[in-house]
Amino acid sequence: MLLTPALLLFAALTLYPLARGILLSFFVTDYGFAGARFIGLENYADLLGDRFFRRASWNTIAFTLLATAGEVGLGLMLALMVNRRFPGRWIVIPSLVAPFVLSTMVVTAIWRAWFHFDFGFLNNVLRAVALPPVEWLFDPDIALLSIVLVDVWQTTPLTFLILLAGLQAIPLEVYEAARLDGASPRRMFLDMILPLLMPHIFLAALLRSIDSFKIFDKVYALTGGGPGNATETLSMYVYRLGFRFFDIGLASAAAVVMILIAGALAAVYAARIIKGADHV
Amino acid sequence: MSSRWGWTAVAFVTAVLFLLPVIWMVGTSFRPPLEYVSTSIALVPGAPTLAHYRTLIDDGILGKVLNSLIVAVGSTGLALAAGFPAAYALARLRLPARLDIVFLLFVLLIKLSPPIVLAIPLYQVLRAFGLLDTLAGLIFVYQVYSLPFAIWMLLGFVRDVPLAYEEAAMVDGAGLARRLVTVVLPIMLPGLISTAVFLMILSWNEFLYALLFIQTPSKFTLPTYIATLITEDETFWGKLAAIGFLASLPILAVVGVVQRGLTRGFAGGLK
Repeated sequence: MLLTPALLLFAALTLYPLARGILLSFFVTDYGFAGARFIGLENYADLLGDRFFRRASWNTIAFTLLATAGEVGLGLMLALMVNRRFPGRWIVIPSLVAPFVLSTMVVTAIWRAWFHFDFGFLNNVLRAVALPPVEWLFDPDIALLSIVLVDVWQTTPLTFLILLAGLQAIPLEVYEAARLDGASPRRMFLDMILPLLMPHIFLAALLRSIDSFKIFDKVYALTGGGPGNATETLSMYVYRLGFRFFDIGLASAAAVVMILIAGALAAVYAARIIKGADHV
Repeated sequence: MSSRWGWTAVAFVTAVLFLLPVIWMVGTSFRPPLEYVSTSIALVPGAPTLAHYRTLIDDGILGKVLNSLIVAVGSTGLALAAGFPAAYALARLRLPARLDIVFLLFVLLIKLSPPIVLAIPLYQVLRAFGLLDTLAGLIFVYQVYSLPFAIWMLLGFVRDVPLAYEEAAMVDGAGLARRLVTVVLPIMLPGLISTAVFLMILSWNEFLYALLFIQTPSKFTLPTYIATLITEDETFWGKLAAIGFLASLPILAVVGVVQRGLTRGFAGGLK
């Protein structure tokens, strides 16, 4: 009885749309089921043959791997940096977290200006040190990396917080024992801190890859998927097909593929929660 | 000791590098247009001006702020109203056939799946209910992510309420509704507030559904309005920076006030 309002909302806003989306993926249609023609798995076959879909898949994988690696690596470095006492630590930590609380559109607005070829801050800095300016968003080889850079700036604070919490959970005795044994800082890090931190690193990487996989708004506002389709991700692909070309059937099939991948990632996450290894 | 100061210097330089884009944004919002079309790397404006903020007000920015507020408050209220009883039921009541586990796993799947995958059918659902291009429609659609978030977060807070208090109230003859209002809610008020803060931030920043389901410019929320400025070819950096700064202020204020409680939730993967 207490669950009723929540269940009603879920039924109307997730269960029904989910079922409808899956069903639509078996039809050719530009709107709903009125006038739609059942074609079985043909949409899925079309996806496999569509080079735009393949490119979007590849872009999504590349973005997810690069962003996750960058965010976990940088987050770890930052966490190690502040995991000791130094004057001003209380102001350094909030500064490092600040980008994370900004809305994605605000973040995107800042970087769109920074990437400007003629007057952007980044190229101004490059020119100031006598380096050639870069076509951050319009060079097909660089555009995706530019979006990765923005994502790393915005969300490294999350991995930083997770890893800092992990570092602080390591008992002080561990450090002391190692110091008594005369272990070098490098050995201490590789043999003790890193293994103890592994569950947190894994959690941070998992959360970031689940999230990077969804990327839409940064791509939409920074490059619109271009140049060409060099930065079109799966979310952009579904958007373009569904809301620009109104190929609802094909877009739904692509969405179903995305749900399957997200479901696999969610399963890994759920398994960890059930095992009780992590909170939340 | 010298290594300690070296360490401090490294930490401060890193912090400044991280903040640089934010500092740039604040500076640019006060910079006259002629100054940002330059190759200078100065961060502080030479001749500060409030012109961009004035332009924003002339553009009807307050209407967009109001839209964002209505949607944020509305969707937060709805998520708490539906999520609190659900969280209580999941935490306290014995449900048949492991319904609770099934429910929580489904919620997790939705929470983790990309928003775009539900966009097409949601569009059709909204159209069927005549809620397309309305703020009310947006409030409903935001439940797709707000409600699971509210339930997951509130679940933990309900579990923290000592059972003994409720049992004492039960002995005194208080019914379920009465127990919830007089015993459970007051004890978990701090948890309720931090959940509400997260829900507000979630919908304050939401972009995709606002982009897809609202067409009338006067009904745009802040993120969709900012997006229209970004994708235009002309550079409105001053205006963009000003609106970016304004849109961030409420969140920065909230984070400053409830920093401690937020860290836990942030680490839980809000975004």
